[in-house]
Amino acid sequence: MADPTGALAELIATARGGRPQSLACLEAEEVLNIALATLVELAVSNDRIDRLERLVAELSGRSVEDLREIRYEGEIAKERLAATDALLTRALRIMVDPRAQPRPSG
Amino acid sequence: MKVRDLQHAVLPQVTAEEHSRQGAVVALRRLLNRDVRPRNVAAYEAEAEPAYSQLHGRWPQSPREIQEAFLLSPSYRRWSAANRAAQEMIWISVGEPIYRDLDRMKDDARKLINAPEKRGSLNLDPSYDPSPEVADTDIHLQPGGYAMDRDEDDIVAGALYETGGNIYSFGQEIGRGDSKAGIAIRLLDEHFGGFSPSCMLDIGCSAGAASAAYAAHYPQTEVHALDIGAGMLRYAHARAESLGVAVHFHQMDASSLKFEDARFDLVVSHNLMHEIGEEKRRAMIRETYRVLRPGGIVIHQDVAIRGLPTIVHQVERDWDTHYNGEVHWNTYAMADLVHDMREAGFPPKTIVEHDLPAIHGANRWYAISARKPG
Repeated sequence: MADPTGALAELIATARGGRPQSLACLEAEEVLNIALATLVELAVSNDRIDRLERLVAELSGRSVEDLREIRYEGEIAKERLAATDALLTRALRIMVDPRAQPRPSG
Repeated sequence: MKVRDLQHAVLPQVTAEEHSRQGAVVALRRLLNRDVRPRNVAAYEAEAEPAYSQLHGRWPQSPREIQEAFLLSPSYRRWSAANRAAQEMIWISVGEPIYRDLDRMKDDARKLINAPEKRGSLNLDPSYDPSPEVADTDIHLQPGGYAMDRDEDDIVAGALYETGGNIYSFGQEIGRGDSKAGIAIRLLDEHFGGFSPSCMLDIGCSAGAASAAYAAHYPQTEVHALDIGAGMLRYAHARAESLGVAVHFHQMDASSLKFEDARFDLVVSHNLMHEIGEEKRRAMIRETYRVLRPGGIVIHQDVAIRGLPTIVHQVERDWDTHYNGEVHWNTYAMADLVHDMREAGFPPKTIVEHDLPAIHGANRWYAISARKPG
């Protein structure tokens, strides 16, 4: 049995043919591919969270809806907000990082 | 018998995470197909034609010019890039569990293929070099293509075809209960007075889903099926045995059948015509006529991409030719199939083109049927 990375490498090694470009910029197209693949992985993670919520609900005797309605105030809310800020900064770094493409002089 | 989304021994055992990933790819493709692609022709009028006109001083006319114009539309380009990415993700989502679970799958397939009390048979031809016009292309981007055969136990081509085909179909909103064999059986019931074959052939059977469904529906019928790749056929055979149905699989070329004249009273093909070029398609139809018994029936079913209203719709449809490895997509869509059937010998009055509703789901299928005199 291959590990997931080995399985993916074996699959990718068999693929043939070119990859015709649609967008005007190849780099943009590659980034779009990464973004869409990441979107799919986010859906996978959401499914995993959902499974855990259902399991916790079953084990705790509370409903899934009750668990999803839990809201934290105070310090915990601040912690979550800070974590969200950090996540957005990581994801959108390209938009807030002041470095620009070097322009040829003259 | 269900043909999609059913369980058997040679399918990969998919983890919950892999199942989620496949579901997400289906959802992504469904969104692109249902909500984005339908806007392409409007984007052509709003963005592509004016941009082309500005560049060339006139409107695009020929298919090549219209294709060039489409690529001047940012909306079309965005959809095209996303659709190509989603198509590649189909194979990632099904290929990972296949290669991860391959040793177990091969063991189970080997046991089924070598079982002493088999229902069907597997007839591989080591001297046959799979037709390069199909074998040399990763059709619909399936890694390795239909004829991949890396060792004497290889079943990957079949496993990819079945599992990737399901993800593709669900993303096209083809119903989970739909069945191409079911469509042909319904046609036999409604158009041919409930004709029940005694000996039938399924040309271009791929992973054998339709072949197994015929064998289940007509348990008294001798069902034969053929395709070009040993890896595809090993999988199809093991799959049919696991499902407990009798199908005799053969490795051979659709355009050069090794069967004697008048062997079958029903010959079918499913989604084959769009995978082969004009010459091979015509030879296949001639061979179909030859191996049919007098009075026998032929049904060639395929995707409903023919007869689009304008040249712009036709060029938009040809995305698959350029970006999805479907090199004969347009050849099939524009072919005069009635002419081909007539040239092969089928009487014109028996040749009928059908626009068929799916068994389940909102999509439609194309089919052309005819009957050999006798």
